[in-house]
Amino acid sequence: MSGDHGHEHHIEPWGPHDWSHGAPHNSFAPLVMSIGFGVFLYAFANIFVMGGLENISSMAGVMLGFIIITIGLIIWWRQDMSFDGVYEPQGVGAPFRNIDLRKVAMWIFLMSEMMVFTSLFSTYIRYRLGIPNCEDVFLSGEWVEGTTVNCFEPAAHLIASSWFHLAPGAVNTFALIVSSFTIVLALKTAKMSNKKYAKKYDIETANVDAHRSRKVGIYLGSTLFLATLFLTLKLIEWFVGFPTPGPLTDLNHGHSEIKSLFAEGYTIHANAYTNYHYDTSYHGGHDIPTDSALYAMLESGAHPGGMMMADIRVSASTFYVTTGTHGVHVFAGMVGLSYMTFKALRGGYGPSNAVSIEYFGLYWHFVDLVWVLVFPFFYLY
Amino acid sequence: MMNKRSLIQTFAIFVIIGLALNLAPEADSLPSGIAGQSEKGCICHGAIPDSGVTPSITGLPSTFNASTTYTLTVSFTGGPSGTDAAPFNLGGFNLAVSSGTLAAVDERVKIENGEAVHNGIDDDEDNNGIHDSVEAGGEPITSGNDFTSWTVNWTSPESGSTTFNLAVNSVNGDGAASADDKWNTMSVSVSGPSSGIVAEPLEPADPFVVLATLIIVSGVLLGAVLLYTFYRANPDGFNWESFAPWITGWLTTTDHKKVGTLYFLAGFFFLGIGGIMAMIIRVQLAVPGNDFLTQDQYNQFFTMHGTVMIFLAAMPLINGFANWLIPLQIGAADLALPRINAMSFWLQPVGALLIFTGIFSGAAADTGWTGYAPYIVSETAHTGTTMWVAGQIMLVASSTLTGINFLTTICAMRAPTMGWMQMPLFTWSIFVANLMLFISIPAWGVGLIQVYLDRTIGTAFYYVASGGDPLLWSHLFWYFGHPEVYVVIVPAFGIISEVIATSARRSVFGYRSMVYAMAGIGIVAFIVYGHHMFTSGMSPTLRFVTMLTTMLVAVPTGIKIFNWLKTMHKGSLIYRTHTLWALGFLVTFTLGGISGMFFPSLAMDTHLHETYFVVAHFHYVFVGGTVFGMFSGIYYWFPKMSGKMMDEKWGLLHFLTAFISFNGIFWPMHKLGVMGMARRHHTWFVSVDEYTNIPAEMADWNLFISVSAFLFFFSNFILIGNMIKTIISGKKAPADPWGGWSFEWMCTSPPPTPSFDPHNLPVLHDANEYHESEPGGFTKWFAGLMVPEDDSEVSH
Repeated sequence: MSGDHGHEHHIEPWGPHDWSHGAPHNSFAPLVMSIGFGVFLYAFANIFVMGGLENISSMAGVMLGFIIITIGLIIWWRQDMSFDGVYEPQGVGAPFRNIDLRKVAMWIFLMSEMMVFTSLFSTYIRYRLGIPNCEDVFLSGEWVEGTTVNCFEPAAHLIASSWFHLAPGAVNTFALIVSSFTIVLALKTAKMSNKKYAKKYDIETANVDAHRSRKVGIYLGSTLFLATLFLTLKLIEWFVGFPTPGPLTDLNHGHSEIKSLFAEGYTIHANAYTNYHYDTSYHGGHDIPTDSALYAMLESGAHPGGMMMADIRVSASTFYVTTGTHGVHVFAGMVGLSYMTFKALRGGYGPSNAVSIEYFGLYWHFVDLVWVLVFPFFYLY
Repeated sequence: MMNKRSLIQTFAIFVIIGLALNLAPEADSLPSGIAGQSEKGCICHGAIPDSGVTPSITGLPSTFNASTTYTLTVSFTGGPSGTDAAPFNLGGFNLAVSSGTLAAVDERVKIENGEAVHNGIDDDEDNNGIHDSVEAGGEPITSGNDFTSWTVNWTSPESGSTTFNLAVNSVNGDGAASADDKWNTMSVSVSGPSSGIVAEPLEPADPFVVLATLIIVSGVLLGAVLLYTFYRANPDGFNWESFAPWITGWLTTTDHKKVGTLYFLAGFFFLGIGGIMAMIIRVQLAVPGNDFLTQDQYNQFFTMHGTVMIFLAAMPLINGFANWLIPLQIGAADLALPRINAMSFWLQPVGALLIFTGIFSGAAADTGWTGYAPYIVSETAHTGTTMWVAGQIMLVASSTLTGINFLTTICAMRAPTMGWMQMPLFTWSIFVANLMLFISIPAWGVGLIQVYLDRTIGTAFYYVASGGDPLLWSHLFWYFGHPEVYVVIVPAFGIISEVIATSARRSVFGYRSMVYAMAGIGIVAFIVYGHHMFTSGMSPTLRFVTMLTTMLVAVPTGIKIFNWLKTMHKGSLIYRTHTLWALGFLVTFTLGGISGMFFPSLAMDTHLHETYFVVAHFHYVFVGGTVFGMFSGIYYWFPKMSGKMMDEKWGLLHFLTAFISFNGIFWPMHKLGVMGMARRHHTWFVSVDEYTNIPAEMADWNLFISVSAFLFFFSNFILIGNMIKTIISGKKAPADPWGGWSFEWMCTSPPPTPSFDPHNLPVLHDANEYHESEPGGFTKWFAGLMVPEDDSEVSH
């Protein structure tokens, strides 16, 4: 089909594309990816129903959904692999004249992302301030042993209680900040003109492309590695826990492991959570000299206080879904970074389309920034 | 000096005003009493039912047999009758049944309009405690008033269930209404044999089977039309070899015009499906006590009707217009992100499929389109609710991508020299609508994800038992939901502005004020949503604040109405079909706006919130506003899109039938609402029990509404027929059939692909009289903040 203005109308829905003529391009990716999302949402709702494991065989459907989405992404990227920055549409209207459309779109997209996290923080603020804090309830003494009370138990109460608990979150914070740095290095390396690049690394101009591809690939790969580290540590913190052998055992009140939040009972189904099983007089009268002594008494069952049972489902839901939504954003970034690393190693990024890294970087910095807010609100305070 | 013509016009206007006043809802609202009630047996003493009076019905079986006569005893205890009352005129009753027939056993009871009432002969008119008939020397008349217990025969129907509504009076016997006269009411239901057991001439239709069948039939018809379109395009090439690339082209297209057409197809398809649901609802509501839909089925039908009409019909149709026209109007080759645009579209049918899974399994969402917590996360909500939420999540994703695309396109891709204040008003309306949607929809998306997780893995965001707050959902929903209703009406404003200006053959009056009014609506949209929650227990301070801000909405809307009128006033109006729809829009939307002004007032809202007055209001603005606006747009731009002229005679017929039948549906609903007919209820009863039922004359209105609804439904097939006829055999359309002057009229009909040559974009010379040098001061300042993408930056 030929276009009406003498341009080719590209009917190559599986890619790759010839980008020299610009849009429109046909693509199967939107249809395939939409079906994948639908299959995923449908199958996932069949596995769990109202908190109960209903039908584990639907896991196959979830996998199928992921596979279809992946196929869609592969089609999408197969069309993009050939993009070398020759066709980069720019704004013509004020105030974005001569600004890349992709840049404008990315900033507008971040506006919506801002609203997503604003809504999650609204939920958090509503419940954090609107439901009495578990510690306050516990100290007030207005509870009966054996009867569940509704209260808000911040995850920080557990996490910030010891350096070991905080360790995964703390390492993650640094991992994300460093990853924001590595992606800027990737951008800088990709953007440098050939002449300057050759001079800086003292190589022949002819070798610049290969050298640059490797270098950009390494920087993007490092970013990918740090993102993977982030999610791994998060899963360890949520579900796995880690050992504290040798001298660390002493520092950890004599325990040889740090339990995961899940193992501590901090779960979305915890309607009889008993973290407050220490002596009620501890805070008031201070009969027990140190934390360690208290823990020892708890271990031996000799503590004098009662056990308050709390329904912390709302607190745990807020924690897991907010940090989880951030985790999903990191995962989405990892998916993007895998493609970009691949493309970089094949020589896909040079001065003419280094901005692609910049625009992904905008998203990545945003994810980093959100973590900088999530961390103090959910892990420290 | 008035000439004859002006006199006739003035006279006609007065006649119309007079008729309108006569038809206007009467102001004698509940519960102070309704004219005509006292004759029917129950003089409802006191304003509210008194719990001191206990009505009862004995003799009812737990389940009744078909066509059997039961003797029921109706009685009451408590109230003044039992204590110091004179022996006469102790009380009264009224018993209404939803099915079966009542018969009097003795002279104490009489049957009126199928309802049993006490025989109200007053045998002690002078109130001296002695029967008048005894005073006259005869036997005492034991009239029905003298008792606290009566006997009635009831013959049961063949099947189904029967509701008994009983109202009783307990009075002091002085014959005059006074403060110590009490009354109360009760309702009881008895079920009988199910229809399967009793042999019946006709099996009652299962509404779900009806709906599913009609959906499938609509789908098959749509497929047939598409196939026929393909055949007509090239009758010789009707084979798979040419069909495969044709259908692949449509499935993979990223061209804004083709995606726009896909949006139109999806939008019209779901408009039909939503219409079928509305018709089934109106069948149910046509007569009192109908059991075509059960309570449970009715909940699903009105939920799906709302969801389908707003998210699967109105939004795609708006996107169809936006996709087609935005690049054409601003002189861009395509949208900024064509592939993302295709993604926006394809998320919608897949999401729709998820939403509809419940219909085909018979357990669709029954939460209302608002999906209020905590019901939406409860086990009792239907299983289809989870899929409803999942589908909505996909629609949220779709709207977000649409928002990115259109905001980027309108911000950055306007043709050279087209400043913000030279943009066509339709483009402005899409810009404002998308900005509102884009900022608000993430809040709802987050709420939906919370609900989805609550319903699947069992998080506890809205579990009240764990401390979850249902009001949080309402806030997240209405923070989105209120801007959303403006998202569907503002594009209609844009269409009407274009149509009226073109039809009046002049530029629109007060272009700048039109823009500022739309922007004002966009801003106000975010600070008024509390008015949806007046009766939800929200903070009284917030209620008061949103009451004031909501009243503000009338200001920009009023400005727009004024400007449209003023545009016609100094213009020279030419009456095309799209002009007629625009004029119709002005009437119905203004009426909807006026009824809307009742709701900001806290007291009025509390009174009217749960009645058909609300239903009338939002259908006047959704249908009389959005849908009429879109009909106008279809007649206006269809020649541009298809390259063929539509038949104006059919268009006139469509306008007349649809406009009249539309008002026939929703105008009486104002009256029903004021009379106390409650919305969201699966049926209604006509009886003297004025708290749960409505007066007898309302039965006629409900039937009238149902008939009008079917007329309206079928009148829109004239439009569909007109479109098909036009595509097949319409006259060829010129580039500018109506004399419009925005960029889309510069293209051929239909426009080429890409719509404009990307290397030779059109240049705007003079849009209208307000053309100024561009950019303005603010734009210059903003542009200073931007880093240009020039080569010098790359080299450092």
